[in-house]
Order: sequence, then structure tokens, then C-alpha cells
Amino acid sequence: MTTFYQLLFSGFALGCVYALVALGFTVIYRSSQVINFAQGSLLALGAYMVSWFAIDKSLPFGLAVLAAIGVCVLVGVVFQRLVLRWVAGQPVFVIVMITIGLSIVIDASVSAKFGANPRLLGDPWSSSAVHPGGVTLIWAKIWTIVTVFGVLLGFFLFDRYSRYGLAMRATAADEEAAMAVGVPTRRVFALAWGVAGAVATVGGFFLATFPNQLDPSISAVALLAFPAIILGGLDSPAGAVVGGVTIGLVEELTKGYQPAHASWLGTNFYVIAPYVVMILVLMVKPYGLFGRAPVERI
Amino acid sequence: MSSEVRVLGRTVSAAGLIAAGSVVAAAALTVALPFMLNAFWLSTLVFILIYAIAALGLNVLTGYTGQVSLGHAFFLAVGAYTAKVLGGDHQLMALIWIPAAGVVAGLCGLIVGPVALRLRGLYLAIVTIGIVFIGQHIFLNVDSLSGGPQGTAIPSVQIGAGAQCQPSCSVDFSQGTSLGGATIDHNALYYYLSLFILVLGMLFVRNLVRTRTGRALQAVREREVAASLMGINLVRTKLAAFVISSFLAGVGGALFGSYLSFVRPQSWDLILSISFVAMIIVGGIGTVWGPLLGAIFVAGTPTVLNHYADSVPFLQHGSSSGGLSINEFSSIFYGALIILFLVLEPRGVVGLAGRAIALAQRLARGPAIPPSTPLPSQQSA
Amino acid sequence: MTLLEVSGLTVTYGGAVLACEGVSLSVDEGGSVCLLGANGAGKTSVLRAITGLLRYHNGAVVHGSITFDGRSIIGADTSKLVASGIAQALEGRRIFRDLTVSDNLRAGAFSARDRSREKRVRDEVLQLFPPLAARLGQAAGYLSGGEQQMLAIARAMMAQPRLLILDEPSLGLAPLVVEQIGASLREIVAGGCSLMMVEQSTALALATTSYAYLLENGCVTHHDRTAHLLADERVRASYLGTSAGQAEVAAVTGEKAR
Repeated sequence: MTTFYQLLFSGFALGCVYALVALGFTVIYRSSQVINFAQGSLLALGAYMVSWFAIDKSLPFGLAVLAAIGVCVLVGVVFQRLVLRWVAGQPVFVIVMITIGLSIVIDASVSAKFGANPRLLGDPWSSSAVHPGGVTLIWAKIWTIVTVFGVLLGFFLFDRYSRYGLAMRATAADEEAAMAVGVPTRRVFALAWGVAGAVATVGGFFLATFPNQLDPSISAVALLAFPAIILGGLDSPAGAVVGGVTIGLVEELTKGYQPAHASWLGTNFYVIAPYVVMILVLMVKPYGLFGRAPVERI
Repeated sequence: MSSEVRVLGRTVSAAGLIAAGSVVAAAALTVALPFMLNAFWLSTLVFILIYAIAALGLNVLTGYTGQVSLGHAFFLAVGAYTAKVLGGDHQLMALIWIPAAGVVAGLCGLIVGPVALRLRGLYLAIVTIGIVFIGQHIFLNVDSLSGGPQGTAIPSVQIGAGAQCQPSCSVDFSQGTSLGGATIDHNALYYYLSLFILVLGMLFVRNLVRTRTGRALQAVREREVAASLMGINLVRTKLAAFVISSFLAGVGGALFGSYLSFVRPQSWDLILSISFVAMIIVGGIGTVWGPLLGAIFVAGTPTVLNHYADSVPFLQHGSSSGGLSINEFSSIFYGALIILFLVLEPRGVVGLAGRAIALAQRLARGPAIPPSTPLPSQQSA
Repeated sequence: MTLLEVSGLTVTYGGAVLACEGVSLSVDEGGSVCLLGANGAGKTSVLRAITGLLRYHNGAVVHGSITFDGRSIIGADTSKLVASGIAQALEGRRIFRDLTVSDNLRAGAFSARDRSREKRVRDEVLQLFPPLAARLGQAAGYLSGGEQQMLAIARAMMAQPRLLILDEPSLGLAPLVVEQIGASLREIVAGGCSLMMVEQSTALALATTSYAYLLENGCVTHHDRTAHLLADERVRASYLGTSAGQAEVAAVTGEKAR
């Protein structure tokens, strides 16, 4: 039973990180129906920036995180204003391809600056832990859960009650109508990219605390958030959270139990377990658990 | 200036003559290319042609039918491993295993199709990412098929091999051959074979889009619900698109593996899939020439950049130490080029070519027509 | 005093398609004007040129001028225009279906001229459209067609406009609902807000506006007081050809007299 609780804990912590990554996708998808393939690269950039500010620039960790968030927000906003505004109205896949271009640029720049060797994150927790009832709770993971909940709460309050949160929802519902009633939609798109950059940074450095080191493969982790956003429905931030946590639990539980109980599924099956779950769910609900089928006018 | 000339008793316009001349010249150049290029350029060209075959398939699915798939790499893998089993394990002829690679991949498309039938747009795109990951997992774990993580050899193309034929009339593509004194090496043989298959594929796609099925594909792309109301069988149409797409991917995968002679499961990854999507978007989505033009851009740019990066002074080899290496420089340049290109010309290379042709025609016609006629200003009553 | 002045307006889409040509019209401070015309006559394009939505549709003003309160507003950002007093409700209502009625109204106040008055303005707007007051917490998509149109107008009014622009507010609505909306619009005009609307059906136009322009194939062919214009034989012949249209006009004119 201890193993189960242990897996539950680490799955939940991992799921929280996926939830943040998924939220980054959802925010941009909701505002412009585009999946931002550069989200993983923003994640990597954020994590490396935290490490750089904390270790190379010797900033206190909290300040390093804020500075890194600043960099990622800036990259997101500048990309939106400098590049994406020119392709508004183009087919979605042209825009998706452009985000892939951005991801190539960011990945290569990060590896040019920091190299391919793993480096430390510079977080204050190292591997200290508490042990209630035989379960090892690593501080980094506890902090992950606490912080992610804080960030998510902040986002939902912002989305629900703030003026710009409302503007984001209105723009998502009907861009032209939002423009017509005076919502500055271009600023809203830039804001969506800023939010995506911010949550990517937070997600990135918490992800890097898990093995407590940072290497370029971190940008591929965003790919594992895809099942999360599909499960939750692409346009639902709440769904992103539920999907993220589900995927985290699925992954950790599979990692814990599959090698012993279902070894015929092959080694490292946990890596693809989220995708298997995703496909099974989509067979039943084609628009995810919380997404809605678009109503089409013929 | 007279714009018409008589050729072989027919009156042909000068423009027509120029067009016909350029086609002949281009065809001659295409055939002569292997003798004009060194191994580096020729091998780049072979990869471009093989990529173009697979991209042509994706273009039927994504460009014409509007079903975005990021799972193309999986179908290439199926083609490559079919080649390995039939050509390698069972020693069958290339004439059999190349089409068979397409057929087996097509059948896989038929199996994956129903999953895709329920989904639309980006949901489909992400599920097909799942196919890539699940496929890679299978290939990594089924050693007998793929050699596991260490990889496996894929047979080279052999024509006329076997007991029926003397060694003199058989051609092993890994060795090269000579024809009337001219040496045709390994690269050149794959060049001609890929070119031949690509041309067949392009002719097929060009004709397909004009048929009833082709129009049904495009109707599904434009308005799925409306298409089904018009009596188009959505299930059959989408499955047809999946099968055609996977078939071409399978053939491309078999050639790809055979040309490389050795593949590892790790190569059939999402990045490969994404580069096919990049090819059709950069080339010009839903056009016959788009996949080839896109393959030239997507497969050619990084190779050429790497090749010439030696002459850029501040770059260094190797990347583990940090600092701007050749690979990183070419990646940054390539990514930025994709962004810049699509911002300036979202319709891709085909759109750019269209503009260039229009410009050339305008220049040929001379400056007789002013660029725009100003609208007469009207005073209101 | 003239509030909105459009003169010699020519609009094209994609640099090629001509939507309207040489259109001139004006709306006085506190005035009410309607733009009549058949489908494709270019009415919506004129509105888009005024409200800054042309660019969104890949259109552009290639000739002419538009001034609001004496300042040129060609190429201005829609949100800036809303802040300076031009609010609009698009054709087809276009409410935010997933948002609550209350959030729809809040969104309308995003660029309002005086945001500190938002609560008071909302109360005033809800008085204009009482059915909305009972449904503030509901998702707007569940409102009836008439209520959705009311919400669209109410949302525009949340910006405290000096000029309210409506694109086919009577589209697809029952005559009784059109009548209710007409009454609210008259109240809005009486409160000092200028009104400009585009209509295909003439009933609402006649009930709420005093001056009318007839747009045919992108050009203004007639303009006169609304009642005169609609009484004009030539206009009736070319534009209100159907007897149904005339009956409709008669019905609302009678309604107004009562």
C-alpha cells in the first residue's frame, strides 16, 4: 500500500506540472484556435533561464524564477506581436507551422547557449524530504503541488473576474464581436502568449526538479501534455487541469505497476500509456471529456 | 515582332514554343543531373525525391482532404520494415517488396482510419501523434521486426536478381552498374528509381484530383457536413485518402530505408512527421508540385546549410561544450526561414512561383498596362 | 450639428472587389438615420468602414473621408472608436453564447467612455430591456432570438455611445419583438444618443429613424426623410416591390400613429 501512495503522490505532482503545460496550450488555443508547438520550447527556455539567473547570475531563487518568467513572457509577446499578427486569418496549419519554426529556433538557441550537457537547476530543495507513514514526500514535489495550485487558482480568478480575463473569454467566443464591442483583441492575443510563456516557465522549472537536473530533452515533455489537453478538451482550461492530473497519475502508476504485472506490454510502456488512454477516451468522446463539438453552419 | 512560328507544319505561338522548349530542357536536365553532380549533391537530391514521394501522400490526406496527420512517420516505418521482412528475410524481388511496402502501409492506414473518422482538425492531428509514439514503442520492443533499439538492415534494391537471370543483366543498387560505358553509381540508381516513382505518383495525384473521388476528397476538406449531405460517403472518402496517403508513405519509407541501408526505430519520430507537414505547407498545400518543392526546401536547406557552414568563421564543430555550433546555426537559420517564408508567402513555394510567373508574364507583355486604374472619384448628390 | 460625416466613401475587398462607391451620408447629433438596401448592396461595408472592422475582412477604404465629431476616423482601431463613442451591434446578434448575460454586458463596457459609471449604465440599460434583467446569470446562448438581439444592443449601449450603429437588428425576429425593440431604440434616441442602422426590412427603420438613405449596387441612389423616401413611388417600385413589404410598412406606420 505504501508503494501505491508513493505513486499516487508522485503521479499527482507530475500531473500538476502537466496541468500547467496543458494550460499554456489551452490559453493560446482558446484565443486563436492554434496549437502552439513551441510550448515545449518555451518550457525549456523558462527552465534554463531559471537555472541561468539562479546559478550564473547568483540571483535568489525566487527572483530568478520571476526574471525567467519575464524572459518567457517577453518572448511570447514579442513573437505574437512581431510575427503572428501578420498571419492572422491564414489557415490554422500555416500558423501551427510557424510555431514549429519558433520551436526550432528556441531549441537551437538554448542548446547553443547552454550546450547539451545536463546542468543544475539551482533550486533550494535539492532532494530533502519528509516521511509521513513510510511514504517519501520530496519537498520539491510538495512545492510543485502547492505552487501549481496557487498558479491555477490565480489563473481562474483572473479568467473569471478580471477585465482582461473577460476580454480573453469574449475573444475566444467570437473574435469579431469582441472587436466590435471594443475589446482590443490584438492586446488579448499578446496577453494569451504572455500567459502561456509564464505558465511554461513555472511548469518548466518544476519539471526539471524531478530528476533535479536540466537537459535539452525537457522540451519534448510538452508532447506528453498533448494527451492531457485532448482528454480535457482543447478549449477548456479546467479540462486541462483534470486532463493533466489524470495523465500524470496514469504515467506514474503505469511506471510503478506495469513492469511487474504486464511486462508483455514492453519496456518503458509508461511513456506511451497516456497516449493509449487518450485514444481510448477519444473513441468514446471525440472532443474530450470537457470540450464541446463545434456547431457548424452549413 | 511576329509572335507565331510554324513548326512541323503547325502554327505554334512563341510563348507555347518557349514553354515546350523549357519542358524538354528541364526533362533533359533531370535525366542528366546524376552525371553533373558530385556524391554529396546527388545524395541530397535522392533524399529530397524520397521525401517528396511520402510528402505527396500526406498532401492527398492533408492538402486535398483536409485531414491533418502527424503520424506519417509511422507509415514510412511500416514500409521500411515490410521491405526488411520481404526483401531481407524472404529474399523477394524489389519489384515485389516496393509495392508491397505501399500495400502493407495502406492496410495500416485502413486500420488507423476508423479512429480518425471520428475526429476532426487538431484532435486528429494529436491522435496521430499518439500513433507515432505507440508505433515507436512497438518497433523498439519487437526485435524480430526492427532489430530493437540497435536497428536493422534494410535490403538494397536489386533488379533482375535471382535464379532466372544472369548476373550480367541484374543490377544491385548498392553496387552501381555501367550502361554503355557510362558508370551509374549507387546514388544515381536510387535517383532514377525515386524519380520514376515520384513522377508516377505525381501523375496519379494530378489525375486523382480531377476524378469523382478526387472531387469528393476536396468537398470533404471544404465542408464535411455539407459534403455528406451532398451524398458523399464520408467513411469511404476519408478511408480512401488515408489509404492513398499511407501507400505513398510506405513506398517512400521502403526506399528511404533501402537507400540508408540501415534504420533504427528512433528515426521514425515526431520530428520526421512534422517535417512532412512542413514540406506540404512550405511547398504549397493542396497542389501537385507542392510536395516536391517543399521537400527541396525542408530536406535541402539544413543539408546545404551544414555543408556551407564551414565557411562561416565564428562557428565551431560539436555542440556539447556550448557556443554556436554548425548544427545549431543551421537550425536557427532554418527555423527563422520557415517563419519568415510563411509570413511573407502563406501559400508556400507554389504561391511564390505563381507570383514569379505572373511577374514574368507582365514583363514579357511590356509596360503597356498601368498597374492599377484609379477609381473615378464621385461627388455625392 | 453633424456627428458623423461620410463623404465619397469607396470600399474594396482584397484590393479588387468593389463593395461601395462614392457613398456620402451624415448623422446629426441626436439624429437617427437608416441605410436601406437589398442583400449585397454594400450596407455592411459602409458600417465596417465607419467602425474600423474593414481590415478584419481584408477590406480597405480606397477613397473618401469619414469624420466623427470633426475628426477623421479612417483606419482607427475599433476599440479606440468605441472609447470615443461609436458602439455597434453586428448583424446576426453575435452575442457571446457561452458567457452569461451579465458578462456579455461587462464585455460591452470594456472600452466604455467612462468606466467608473459602469454600474449605473448597466441599470439604465436593463431598464431599456427589462427581459434581460431577470436573466443576468444565464448563459446568453439560452436566450430567445429576440432577447439575444436585445442583449446585443444592450451590450453596445454599455459603452455609453454617442452613436449607436446597428446592422439588421430585425433580422429573423417576430413582428411583436421588432416592435418592442423599436420602442427601446426610440427611447435611446430620445435620451440623446444618435442612431444609425442598416435594414433590409423597412418596418423597424420607419419606426425608429427620421432620415433614410437608399443604397443600390454600392451607391446611394435616393435619400430623404424616412417617411418620404418610403412613400416615393420610384423607391417602392425598385426597392419595396413586394406587396408584403408595403403591408409591413403600413402596419408599423399605423402602429406608430396609435
